[in-house]
Amino acid sequence: MTQISRQPHSEKGDPHWMEWAVGIFSALLVLTIIGWVGFEAITEEDQSPTFRTVITRKEAVEGGFRVEFEIENLSTRTAAAVVVRGEIRDGDNAVETGEATIDYVPAQSKSYGAIIFSSDPGEKDVWIRGAGYSEP
Amino acid sequence: MSKSPQRESRTFLVGIARGAAGALLFSIPMLMTMELWHLGSYMERYRLFVLLLVNVPLLIFLADRVGFERTTTLTEACRDANIAYGLGILMSAGILVLLGDIKFGMPLSEIAGKIAIQAVPASIGALLGRSQLGGSSNDQDDKAHGCCDEDAAGGGDSDAVPDQLSTSYGQELLLMAVGALFLSLNVAPTEEIILISFKMTPWHALAAIMISIGIMHAFVYVVAFKGTHEMPAGTPWWHAFFRFTLPGYIVSMAISFFVLWAFGRLDAVAPTQAMMFAIVLSFPGAIGAAAARLIL
Repeated sequence: MTQISRQPHSEKGDPHWMEWAVGIFSALLVLTIIGWVGFEAITEEDQSPTFRTVITRKEAVEGGFRVEFEIENLSTRTAAAVVVRGEIRDGDNAVETGEATIDYVPAQSKSYGAIIFSSDPGEKDVWIRGAGYSEP
Repeated sequence: MSKSPQRESRTFLVGIARGAAGALLFSIPMLMTMELWHLGSYMERYRLFVLLLVNVPLLIFLADRVGFERTTTLTEACRDANIAYGLGILMSAGILVLLGDIKFGMPLSEIAGKIAIQAVPASIGALLGRSQLGGSSNDQDDKAHGCCDEDAAGGGDSDAVPDQLSTSYGQELLLMAVGALFLSLNVAPTEEIILISFKMTPWHALAAIMISIGIMHAFVYVVAFKGTHEMPAGTPWWHAFFRFTLPGYIVSMAISFFVLWAFGRLDAVAPTQAMMFAIVLSFPGAIGAAAARLIL
């Protein structure tokens, strides 16, 4: 309980047991958070961002052909301004290239985007990969 | 003290004007934030809906503490909360139109979304305006004892905020939630929150947790602000630390997670990274929570 008067406010000397229960529960939660982050701090290796891209959907849209992808950052470091390049390949030649820039791909997280090509790749291969990033 | 109906309505209108002023004062930084305009138009509607709903009980609770008129019943608190929400919506709409952010020909859902998201902080501001800008609530011709009147004994029952009230523990936590929500809404939409958490190492995050908790405790119990809380003599400092400060920090963390979720910042983000976002957002959140205990 808190007694609020004009001033100063004062806490009651004999609190309800609920207050202590909530206090102890909160203390445990705070300790968990500190433990978690502390564990990350100690065990974290200094990795450079590495990406895995997966094409999630391909479909014809007005004025082109959209290839949606997800890009996952496998490392413990966040990458910013990630350039994702897509190519339609016919054998070894790139028939068409497209690009998308993702603001952030946080550590061990996924981001989503799409590249729109002007032509339907049909039977040709579509490649998508992370082509560059900067540090946030 | 008996009041004529005319004076009563005048008092009420003054209350409304203070509410509008408060809505303006407290929400103008957000009304001029680009990210919030964008969020208003693209934010997923069910998340916006949840945010708007969560605001309702908080407003009723706030209205109960600092209404447009001294409220005694739940009905009156609901009425005041309703007025504040309405004022928040009106002020947001007006300012957004003034700023050219809402124009004819925009899709209705974009307009509604932009106003709705701004109405949350504006409505809280409307109620805060009532308590912070208001001095003596129902008379100007009375001897002016404003909000900063130190003379507690003379502070009769005409003050905007009741002089003497006993808040339950739950109310104290709710109060912190309102403060945390308000400050979180200020900064959560900006890209800086996630950018900062990317720049921080876990060591920085650890320091941020400690400092947030330290500031929270110091705000309320150490720095002698007006409205500072005192422990009864002979009580060790850690009593208040465990019973109020640590739960307050957890409340602030929970609000941070909620706001981040509402703004879609947690989608497909790894748990550790999400925790980092919340720690960063809890820094202002904790300050807001502590400040709410002082000013309200």
